[in-house]
Amino acid sequence: MKPRPLILSAALALLVSPAFANPVIGQPAPDFSVTDAAGKTQALSAYKGKTVVLEWNNPECPFVRKHYGATNMQKQQAEAAAQGVVWLTVNSGAEGKQGHLDAAAATSYVAKVEGKEAAYLLDADGKVGHSYDAKTTPHMYVIDKTGTLRYMGGIDSIASTDKDDIPKATQYVRQALGELAAGKPVSVTMSEPYGCSVKYGS
Amino acid sequence: MMCTASFMTTHVGKIRRLACAFVLIAAAQAVPAIAEAVQTEHVNAELISEHLSLVPGQSMQVGLLLRHEPHWHTYWMNPGDSGLPTAIEWNPPAGFKVQDIVWPLPKRFDVGGLYNFGYDGEVLLPMAVDVPADAKPGSKVHLTANAKWLVCREECIPGKASLVLDLPVAPAPAKADPNWTMQFARARLAQPQATAWKADVRMNGERIVIALRGPGLPPADGLDAFAAEKKLFDNKPPTIRREGDALIVDSGKSEYFQSAPAKLDLVVTAPAPAGVRGWRVQVPFVDASAPTP
Repeated sequence: MKPRPLILSAALALLVSPAFANPVIGQPAPDFSVTDAAGKTQALSAYKGKTVVLEWNNPECPFVRKHYGATNMQKQQAEAAAQGVVWLTVNSGAEGKQGHLDAAAATSYVAKVEGKEAAYLLDADGKVGHSYDAKTTPHMYVIDKTGTLRYMGGIDSIASTDKDDIPKATQYVRQALGELAAGKPVSVTMSEPYGCSVKYGS
Repeated sequence: MMCTASFMTTHVGKIRRLACAFVLIAAAQAVPAIAEAVQTEHVNAELISEHLSLVPGQSMQVGLLLRHEPHWHTYWMNPGDSGLPTAIEWNPPAGFKVQDIVWPLPKRFDVGGLYNFGYDGEVLLPMAVDVPADAKPGSKVHLTANAKWLVCREECIPGKASLVLDLPVAPAPAKADPNWTMQFARARLAQPQATAWKADVRMNGERIVIALRGPGLPPADGLDAFAAEKKLFDNKPPTIRREGDALIVDSGKSEYFQSAPAKLDLVVTAPAPAGVRGWRVQVPFVDASAPTP
């Protein structure tokens, strides 16, 4: 085949399907396949039957530091693990941008902050981030056992970099996980995420 | 006044007059508002007053002057995809009240495909101080405030400063502080102008389409538009075009849009020789998909 029709059809495909389909509450969460810090391939589809949390991370972002510094994030990761929930931390920072981590740096970061996530996903090309339209660090998503998106937005209800606000805030992810475990509908399905912008390369 | 013309005729008077002039200069320098700029990482913050004194019973202009290092910015009331609006908490003396920030027109920052709204360079966030009618002329007012912001280039640093503004109370008319005339004049130009435009909004799938009609609509070229409220627009640059007598602002809908609010405060900006100029219009929001009551 000549290259031209191929390029054309690729271009057409891009035009027809939106470049980044927005994730929608109550709809299947976008699948992905990406390498984690341990070199393992992580695919959402592999976790059918389990509740999954996605957490966008940039170790140097002050909003991320707020929640790790106060151990709010690690506590919720541990609680989730205890409930059999799969917590995946995602870093979509492009190479050369603030907060980008390679596998070794990610492993030592998780050890340093005593992260309790199931895996730390390396998404330097931003594919997973764009497919979820992840905008901030942190930016949180909760996906139920059927692969349906049940929550997206902020980790909690008070947009600030101040640790003192954590006890006063509603922890939306914890709340959603509690409701899902109890077989109840998620009461807050969306909140506007707050944080630093995800440092995409393109 | 101690320095009168009465002793100006004598030789000694000449010397006294000279001394007097020095005293007057020193006094003039001591009288104006006392405030200190605080240098923090990438931002210099200072409280300033438009006038050298506060007038009993009047509403006076003060402001938070932020000077950013090149490439760094702080945020508008709606910061966009990330960031935090600058916040200030005042501790005014009893009877005094400091009103909220009257936000200047925002600038759009493209941060790798995500969008933020805010300010770079030098910006004055103006506020009004309501002076009680019984404030005593000759007394000093000690205004303190804690300001908090997030300053970002691509990376972000939270900043804060405890700021002070000391002003004397004096009867009207208050004299403008010559140090800050330019800043307050610029701040007025940077305010969105009220308009008599009529706004209609409709939801078109994932788009929010606003039609503006009325006197003094600008040409569509180079315009930008912002919603003061979060979770309405998707923060990407809207498409702005003329359709007959209407100016159309066509923005993507935020994926965090949940239900139609009663209104949307729209700010339209245009490039101008001295930075930016703009307008505001309140858009009554009627969700076509909502059941009619």
